[in-house]
Amino acid sequence: MSTHELAEVERLRRHLAQSRRLYEVRDDGQGGRHWQEVGPKDFTPLEPEGDPPPFSAKLFFFAERELLFRFDGGQFYSSLPEVRPQAIFGLHACDLQAIAYQDRFFAQDPHYQARRHATLLVGVECRESCSNGFCSLVESGPLVGDGLADLVLVRRDDARGWWLRVGSAAGAEAIRELRLPTNLDGCQATRESNAARVALAQLHDRELLDGVAALNAGQVSADTWETLGTHCFGCSGCTQVCPTCSCFAPLEQVGASGEVQHERVWDSCLYEGFQAEASGHNPSASPGQRVQRFWLHKFGEPFREQFGHYGCVGCGRCDRVCPGGIGVHGVIGEVGRP
Amino acid sequence: MIDLTPRKLHLLDSYEDGRDARHFSFRIDFPQAHDLATMPGQFFMLAVPGVGEAPFTYVSPPNLYGHFNALIRRMGNLTDALFALRPGDTLGYRGPFGKGWPLFFSPRRVLVVAGGCGLAPLAGLIDEASREHLSSRLSVVYGARRDEDQILARERLRWKLAIPFIETLDDAAAGQRRGTPLDHFDEVFATVQPDTLLCCGPESLMLGAARASVEHGIQPSRIWVSLERRMHCGVGLCGHCYIGASYACLDGPTYRYDRFLALTGATDSCAAPALQRC
Ligand code: SF4
Ligand code: FES
Repeated sequence: MSTHELAEVERLRRHLAQSRRLYEVRDDGQGGRHWQEVGPKDFTPLEPEGDPPPFSAKLFFFAERELLFRFDGGQFYSSLPEVRPQAIFGLHACDLQAIAYQDRFFAQDPHYQARRHATLLVGVECRESCSNGFCSLVESGPLVGDGLADLVLVRRDDARGWWLRVGSAAGAEAIRELRLPTNLDGCQATRESNAARVALAQLHDRELLDGVAALNAGQVSADTWETLGTHCFGCSGCTQVCPTCSCFAPLEQVGASGEVQHERVWDSCLYEGFQAEASGHNPSASPGQRVQRFWLHKFGEPFREQFGHYGCVGCGRCDRVCPGGIGVHGVIGEVGRP
Repeated sequence: MIDLTPRKLHLLDSYEDGRDARHFSFRIDFPQAHDLATMPGQFFMLAVPGVGEAPFTYVSPPNLYGHFNALIRRMGNLTDALFALRPGDTLGYRGPFGKGWPLFFSPRRVLVVAGGCGLAPLAGLIDEASREHLSSRLSVVYGARRDEDQILARERLRWKLAIPFIETLDDAAAGQRRGTPLDHFDEVFATVQPDTLLCCGPESLMLGAARASVEHGIQPSRIWVSLERRMHCGVGLCGHCYIGASYACLDGPTYRYDRFLALTGATDSCAAPALQRC
């Protein structure tokens, strides 16, 4: 795949926004940063650095709430989303790795795939580590893995613009009209120095790997999990922001006309009733069991074998959102200590 | 791609069959070839419009016409709504899902242990064995609290004529066997010498039966249990039915005992405390 020279990243964005809806992370004016639609006439400079946005891009594919089917009293009707072509602009490597993970998990889910197939992914490689991130330790960044994005932006060290790496046929097609000159001089060296700089900044987090080893060796006692469980508010913050969390619950409602709508909504394995059965039996009744489950799902070897990657991509969002201090550093960092 | 939309299902009939339990006959609208491949021990998602979906096992799998039976105990909102329906009403159906019981009748001597409603998922398999006159190969021990808790009354009459079938009750009247299925293990093992155990019922019963069978010489890899988990999707997506790194809707609900122990990280002796129920 080719690498091109790109003087002005905003030109690329305007071009892509002409024929699709384009989303980028922007300040919402109230202290928050969210994915927002950006039109083809928008000249706002891209701000690629900094912490990843509070919400990952999973909501574009695995919708927070969506209709699965309807029932009109006689028949069931499936309800696949009609998705206009869209581009997610400025995705960090960790979030792209998470999308690849969910692509595998939802490979057979028609709702997810309808959204995903309509989407162009444009990544941007980080030059500095974000504040809680540890992507280099879980092999999800800062460089974007091959094939994980349609286009990837790499900022030049000399501040003379960007390289644009093309990662797919759809990416090549999307920029064809821009006729960008090919040039990969220095690109690889810059990427390697970015990778080294980020890895160095994240070196202190190596204790997390001890935690992962302890978890997989079954060295974390039930008492430790229960102690951690006492810090869980069951607020579902972590499962909402985690880019690889994928659990959902059904929501069925009857409209005024008598039509039944069956939706699915994001759910959380940290909720007490997540596994409660109609009989009253609850196989994960204690908070410690549920906290353990969350982390096994992120770092357990059986899941890594199945998906070719940890369920955690090292974005650090759970640390930022957890009111009980049991995000990834609070748990995995803790259970690895001798 | 997976289809998450139910197919239309007709409620044909139902009758009372045990305390708070009814025996339902359904018909799938436009049955398809894969409906005929349903195995005993698999399950389906039943949609009660306006309430939701829940998993149930088959008493008899769908036939050519899409007819099948299920034994359903009243447990909550969804079954309350189901029990209020009348023949001819429309429901939704997705399935079959999950793994059923292993089929290995020829050289094996199979002991089936069921507790309460746990007899239902085993019914298709017992039926097959009794039809094929495999009385020397399959015997059943069925436990329940009281006789009104017993299910599948008509089927049991038939089975008792065809295969060794022991019934035992926690609260037994004079002339009835008393105790749990485990209380009769010494006798069963002395007479039929099983080398394979299939078990379905409360988790405490299943784990107890599995442990006792291992003590009586059955290999853990020749024991199967059927686990109950909350299920919303049936296809490995919603996450609710996890057991360790496995989803019961895909890899279960029937698990080989040694694999189940590996999944839960438990050994024979410590599995029980974590898994009490019913
Ligand atoms: S577990 Fe935490 S650090 Fe890992 S991917 Fe999820 S939110 Fe990010
Ligand atoms: S029932 Fe949804 S994952 Fe098993």
